[in-house]
Amino acid sequence: MSPIIRVNNLTAGFADRIVLRDISFDVQRGEVFVIVGGSGSGKSTLLKHMIGLYQPQCGTICIEGEDIVAAHGSERQSILRKIGVSFQTGALFGSMSILDNVCLPLEAYTDLPKQAIAMIARMKLQLVSLGDAANRMPAELSGGMRKRAAIARAMALDPLILFLDEPSAGLDPVLSAELDALLLNLSRVLHVTLVVVTHELNSIFTIADRILMLDGATQTIAADGPLLKLLAHANPQVRRFFAPNKEQM
Amino acid sequence: MSNFQLTIAEDRLTLSLRGRLDAYSILAVWREASEVLAEIDSARVVIDGTQIDYCDTAGAAMLLDLAQIARATGAETEFVNLSEQVQQFLKLFDPTTLAAQNRQEDRSSWLERIGQWGSRVGNEFVTLISFVGEAASALVIALRHPACIRWGDAMRIAREAGVDALPIVSLISFLIGVILAFQAAAAMSRFGAEVFVADLVGLAVLRELGPLMTAILLAGRSGAAFAAELGTMKVNEEIDALSTLGFEPVRFLAVPRILATVAVIPVLTVYANLIGLIGGAIVMMGFGISLVSYYQELLGVLSLSDLLTGLGKALLFGVIVAGVGCLRGLQAGLGAAAVGRSATSAVVSAIVLIVAVDGLFTVIFYYAGI
Repeated sequence: MSPIIRVNNLTAGFADRIVLRDISFDVQRGEVFVIVGGSGSGKSTLLKHMIGLYQPQCGTICIEGEDIVAAHGSERQSILRKIGVSFQTGALFGSMSILDNVCLPLEAYTDLPKQAIAMIARMKLQLVSLGDAANRMPAELSGGMRKRAAIARAMALDPLILFLDEPSAGLDPVLSAELDALLLNLSRVLHVTLVVVTHELNSIFTIADRILMLDGATQTIAADGPLLKLLAHANPQVRRFFAPNKEQM
Repeated sequence: MSNFQLTIAEDRLTLSLRGRLDAYSILAVWREASEVLAEIDSARVVIDGTQIDYCDTAGAAMLLDLAQIARATGAETEFVNLSEQVQQFLKLFDPTTLAAQNRQEDRSSWLERIGQWGSRVGNEFVTLISFVGEAASALVIALRHPACIRWGDAMRIAREAGVDALPIVSLISFLIGVILAFQAAAAMSRFGAEVFVADLVGLAVLRELGPLMTAILLAGRSGAAFAAELGTMKVNEEIDALSTLGFEPVRFLAVPRILATVAVIPVLTVYANLIGLIGGAIVMMGFGISLVSYYQELLGVLSLSDLLTGLGKALLFGVIVAGVGCLRGLQAGLGAAAVGRSATSAVVSAIVLIVAVDGLFTVIFYYAGI
């Protein structure tokens, strides 16, 4: 089966500074693909290139065979409808209730009547256990609730791929575990492909089917594979990332 | 072609759905099937999913809604031949809660709403009083210990509120002078009394329009800026950080702004008065009144008290603009929208207060014979 995302020879950066150098990898359909790396290794930069926010210096990023880098206009819109993005801070629209935040993409891209849209949006909020908070404003929510609301909005159009930037950053271990369970549920029941940027080890151990580790020093891929493979990787830096205490002893 | 088929056999109605059930394709089938199901007279409804190729949340919403509509007619309703995935998917949702939430409306009564409004107004008033008290006490402390004032901030704010406002104050004051002179001259020329237009322009600009327009411009520029700046600081938790460091936010943030505004507004008002009079002079020259006559007329009608009453009001307007701007900023809620609301509210509240205070002063000065 062809990969749902194919990143080919991607080189990216800002002005003269290269952040990612000649990176290539595939993401398979239904996979929970986790991008890890030290601070400043280019995780979020890679994610923003994959969702078409940044233009790379060279290389291609194909989503279901269509290159998001070269796409413009309606072609780009059709690619963007296949993806949902949950940003690090949630990025919910502060002037709208949580329900309206989730309704927004449905109102923009479908012809469904308002009542049907509200029902679908409430179902999304039920999925992330925010059914009772539908009419609350983002400012009235806790950090964990905001992250879940952002996931509900990202899922509004039932995307094939869900990109999540640091979904559990700043959450306590209990909330973080709940969020991991939610992501696994989305992956298993809705068969959504998840691309997650995180450096929370517990989350990585819980949800990752495959891990891509970036090396900030060489701006390339340090390791790529399932967790067990990376735990036994030849590169000690990779092993230290996943088992810091063990490597120090 | 419809994406559903109806089969009626004895007391059973079977609704067979087929193809993709997603947000982009279900509109027609949802509408048609809902209409049919709402009018059925069967004891039993079966929703058959044998031919469903794909079902997303929108499709699931439709399935749950159709079942709800059928049940509302009293029919016993069941799903058959749904794929394992669709069954699993439907289990994630609670249709009863969804239906209840969809029916939910704002049920608060008018009495409740009046109560809520009254409580909001009361809270606003309490906040206003406490801010005025806090700011007054902070100002007194700051004036007794000038070294405590953040003079760097005060100078920056004075430059932004004063020097940077000169172009817009010039333009508006000039146009006010021109418009006033034109309107008055057009009426007075019928009686050959064009020369008295200078009296009207002089008195109106010095006593009313100079201070008023300057204050309104200041409210639009600096009052909104104060509210937005302090509101953003609140959103970024900078105000909380100040409190935990032992600083009083009002003393640290509001005092330099109030002092800077009070310092620049009289200067801006004098400048606005001058430009307004120049605007009037240019129009008068067009009506054949020489600059010397215009000047002589102004000297004859204007007194120092006219200038001082205008400047006195301007000082109070300055306190209002800076105080309201800071208050609204410190009151801001969380989020970008709250910052926008606090900036808007700062401008609107300041303008309303300025006009109200100006009206009050006009009446007081009239009866005091000033």
